[in-house]
Amino acid sequence: MRDGDRVVDRVVEMLKEPVRIDPVLDRRVMAELAQVPAPRRTTGIVALTGWLVRKRTIAVSPLGGLAAAAGIALAVLAGRAWVFPTAHHEPALTTTAAVSPGADTRAIQFVVLAPRASSVTLVGDFNDWDETATPMSRAVGNGLWSVTVPLAPGRYRYSFLVDGNRWEPDPEAPRALGDDFGRPNSVVTVGGS
Amino acid sequence: MGIEGVTESADATLVRRVLAGDTEAYAGLVARYRDRLGRYAVRMLGNQADAEEALQETFIRGYRSLGRCTEPERFGAWLFGILVNRCRTAGAQRARRDRTVIADEAAMARAAVWDESDRHAWRETIRWALGRLAPAHREAFLLKHVEELSYEEMVGLTGASVPALKMRVLRAREELCRLLQEVERA
Repeated sequence: MRDGDRVVDRVVEMLKEPVRIDPVLDRRVMAELAQVPAPRRTTGIVALTGWLVRKRTIAVSPLGGLAAAAGIALAVLAGRAWVFPTAHHEPALTTTAAVSPGADTRAIQFVVLAPRASSVTLVGDFNDWDETATPMSRAVGNGLWSVTVPLAPGRYRYSFLVDGNRWEPDPEAPRALGDDFGRPNSVVTVGGS
Repeated sequence: MGIEGVTESADATLVRRVLAGDTEAYAGLVARYRDRLGRYAVRMLGNQADAEEALQETFIRGYRSLGRCTEPERFGAWLFGILVNRCRTAGAQRARRDRTVIADEAAMARAAVWDESDRHAWRETIRWALGRLAPAHREAFLLKHVEELSYEEMVGLTGASVPALKMRVLRAREELCRLLQEVERA
């Protein structure tokens, strides 16, 4: 065995020793969880319904008003070998119908160019990373997908889910420093009024 | 993988109880994984305080996201993925915070290693050497040799390719040897 291997073996042996963390951590975690909404299984219709009926405050956000949106995140996801859909139905953008206007929120438009995608969903902090809550709509005649989301001022991480299985960050936006699930995320910061 | 094991079915039961509204059941998961995840956090971040902070954030994020844990019996591996990323974030934040005070660490390590038979000195030396590695190299080394993950599992956690990960592990081994031999000669 080489000297280098012996050194590494000694290092690893030490590093594998158990570590004891103060059990007080448990109490700190549980105390903080008391302030956190209970987790729920996020599945399809239930999750979408939950997102729709939850109380939110927004300014405006009908799809027809996209051009007036306060911020635009434009991503161009070209050159991917996505399958061009043989038939595509525009998903109805109903997420804005159940919300009421508020003074502090902005309508943020997310746009992505994915001409060969059959579905694109916007997933981020603002919809609890629910993969079904915010489908993007495809403009007739081109490969632009868009959705407008009401966001209060703050910093949000997000990503695009393409064809239900491919995570794409927004190449035009800053990258999030770290992601909890090993996916590259982007960041959008919504300013106050 | 070291994080998984005989507790998988118990994990699944606890996860389902939490999702059914029994928040207190989450305490059982925290207690079960506190030390097991703590080892990686302490080794990766180099000190107990930062490790405990990363652990706390990991458990809280795990709770908030529990609905997306699609395989409750693999809760440990799923939570470990969150921890790996929290440690990345914590490491990056600390690098910015500590940029001006790193210089004296080498002298401290040398001072601590006069008596090689002293296990504490050896532990401190390794801690110092690990801290000198590039974060991506340290991460790969710990995942491979300490947590004993396969390269395929590491791909899932880090997003890097197998060749890239192998290169990181190799570089970490080389750098550790160089640093430790340098300290022994000092």
